[in-house]
Amino acid sequence: MMGGEDYRDRFEDIDWDDMQRSGLDSLTTQTAGFLASLGVVALLLVYDYVVVANDGPTFTTPFEWDVTQLDWLLVVTLLTVVFFAVYPLYDNPRMSRRYWREFRKNRAAVVSGVFLVGIFGLGLVGPLFIAKPDLNVLAQYQPPVFLSVPESTVGTCVGPVSDGMCHGTWQYPLGTTGQGKGIMKSVIYGMRVSLEVGLITPLIIIIIGTAVGTVAAYSGGIVDELLMRYVDIQLTFPTFFLYLLLLYLYGGTLFLLIVIFGITSWGSTARLVRSEALQRREEEYIQAAQSAGASEFWVIRKHLVPNVSNTVITNASLLIPSLILFEAAFSFLGLGDPTVPSWGQVISAGRSDIDTAWWISTIPGVFLFTTVLALNFVGDALRDALDPRAED
Amino acid sequence: MSSDAPLLEVRNLKKHYPITEGVLKRQVGNVRAVDGISFAVERGETVGLVGESGCGKSTAATSLLRLEEPTDGEVLFEGRDITEYDKKELKRFRREAQMIFQDPTSSFDPRMSVGESVAEPLTVHGMRDRERRRRIVKDLLERVGLSADDIDRYPHEFSGGQKQRIGLARALVLNPKLIVADEPVSALDVSIQAEILSLMKDVQTEFGLGMLFISHDLSVVREICDRVAVMYLGEIVEFAATDELFENPQHPYTRALLSSIPQPDPTKRGSAVELSGDVPSPSNPPSGCRFHTRCPEVIPPEGYDFEQKTWRSVMDLRVRLGRDGVNAEAVREFVASESGQEPESVPADRVRAEIRREFDIPEELSDPRAEEVLSTALRHLANDEQAEGRELLAEEFETVCESSAPELRRTPAGHVASCHLVSEAESNAVSTPSTGD
Repeated sequence: MMGGEDYRDRFEDIDWDDMQRSGLDSLTTQTAGFLASLGVVALLLVYDYVVVANDGPTFTTPFEWDVTQLDWLLVVTLLTVVFFAVYPLYDNPRMSRRYWREFRKNRAAVVSGVFLVGIFGLGLVGPLFIAKPDLNVLAQYQPPVFLSVPESTVGTCVGPVSDGMCHGTWQYPLGTTGQGKGIMKSVIYGMRVSLEVGLITPLIIIIIGTAVGTVAAYSGGIVDELLMRYVDIQLTFPTFFLYLLLLYLYGGTLFLLIVIFGITSWGSTARLVRSEALQRREEEYIQAAQSAGASEFWVIRKHLVPNVSNTVITNASLLIPSLILFEAAFSFLGLGDPTVPSWGQVISAGRSDIDTAWWISTIPGVFLFTTVLALNFVGDALRDALDPRAED
Repeated sequence: MSSDAPLLEVRNLKKHYPITEGVLKRQVGNVRAVDGISFAVERGETVGLVGESGCGKSTAATSLLRLEEPTDGEVLFEGRDITEYDKKELKRFRREAQMIFQDPTSSFDPRMSVGESVAEPLTVHGMRDRERRRRIVKDLLERVGLSADDIDRYPHEFSGGQKQRIGLARALVLNPKLIVADEPVSALDVSIQAEILSLMKDVQTEFGLGMLFISHDLSVVREICDRVAVMYLGEIVEFAATDELFENPQHPYTRALLSSIPQPDPTKRGSAVELSGDVPSPSNPPSGCRFHTRCPEVIPPEGYDFEQKTWRSVMDLRVRLGRDGVNAEAVREFVASESGQEPESVPADRVRAEIRREFDIPEELSDPRAEEVLSTALRHLANDEQAEGRELLAEEFETVCESSAPELRRTPAGHVASCHLVSEAESNAVSTPSTGD
């Protein structure tokens, strides 16, 4: 045995009576920060609904922002992501470096990650600074910049006309729709929609699904039975028709779509997580934690959830693209929120003009395609990076 | 309570698992994994718990630590019954008693670095200072023979022996008084086993730990234990100081286990006692002495004169009749296929001879009265009258081993054992074999 080094601190010398913690200081920085932020959001919410005049914007400085229900939800979602995904990375740089080292190995995933950060970053801040695309009958079917179409297909050409061809302008870099809405703006607003659909709904699904799945597997017995039979019932529940019904009763809003799908479609996730957790709970490290005195919550949170994260991440990487596509399909069918310009809606708007104004459907289509593809790459690489056994 | 109470005292501990059937989970029976065991572990002492796989050793470990709720019995830790503990007291108790696991691969969370795993008990018990946790873990890793730099590595990067060292570190980190080691070296190579055992010994001496060492391997137990309890089917059949037990085993089961240790001395080979049959199911343990279905020294019935080996063979037949039965038709077909006859034309006496051959029973027993009973019974069997055959044998050849359960008694050799063979000596039944001397 060696001696005299400065890290010497021996387990025999711990005075445990010193260390009886009280309820309040068992809160970690992480949870405390999260709860405090939620408190701030709640106060702002009260302010918005009680103080601010009806329909007035919530903030006027530094920019005008009328915070909608959906925005509140997005803020809470982002807070959750920041405190439970970003903060641990910041808090434990050793771990983060290792994850990054692993993630970096997948070139396609890095490129996809950068692309997604761009898309979602733009979707997050873009709508704050850019006005919604307007109807403009004087600017129908404008081609994207650097491209030209015969003047006959365009009502009034905004850009220069030469040899009977209408050229695109920087005023509408990606062209316009048949209603004269700028596609660039629509696409940016569409990013916001995809961000909301691709972040809030899966987060709701994953939180509920993981909680139910792990608790059911860990507790077993009557708890397991009740939770899983409820899942059985919920899985037979026709969410699509519920949404249609509510759509006709209250009108379609994106908020409704996100919430309805979030709280009714976690059943299959819960089931997947449970079957994985059932295997994990038989491992000896679970028993080791119990014999160390860890509570049920601790074991589930520190051992069961991390060890089912393969399943969760795989599930999420399938869920997010499919929900984004789902929203696009809904909008395409005209069942979406008519006030929100989502990618699906723009694709739908251009489908009758596909032979004369191909860019209307194609451009948002390309964004949809690349986003979904990038999400799949990133999900794949994340799963590998988070598993220490994948290291060589 | 007073400090002279043993560190750990187990009294009549039972753990039964219900067997349920159907949608309503109606209870149809019990698996009696641990069925009333008693022993004690003193401070600084290692007590071994040995037995075949499935005899309830591991269940005993998890129930006495209350990782599973015991069905019945008391577990006194420093004189206080932990089965009565509330949540807070139990958490405190968790600091005092730790466990080491069998499978080094499964006993570490693959998503945690070993440093986090070893430090986890500290965190659970409220040490918030991460840097201090790291200092303690680094120090501890060095003391179990690893390097302080290993703290950030992951379990899959270590060998089985190294992981078992880390497991020991994790068990030590709370400075416990008792360590329960469940087959800690069974998954390791023999050369590594020795290293881990000597490390465990050193650690135990250094900190004066009480240790309960569970193993199926008697040679390992001999290395490390001061006293040994032998378990069979959820019960302790013999409990003695290690040397005593190895030199002068009192219970036939202990003798059988001991003879299964490979002998390096060729002149002593060949005396292995072979146990017939499988371990019976703990959901329906045999009556009387639980070992009587396999015991090579099972006591012959009164009034008949049997050779021990022959009697064991007859008992085997009886055990089989009691459990699965002997199918005369199948025997007949077997004989037919061997001799190329039609099954119908196999005579009854061939069937009887085949049953004798199958169970190693001689063609004629030396005691004519016993022979008469046996051949009558065999005639019943050959005529496919199993119930009659079984009842006749059970009635005539009843042995004390199946009719009454032996109590744990102090034997002349000073052990505690439960066997009818040793009970007559100078017996008063020992209620709690808490001390071996």
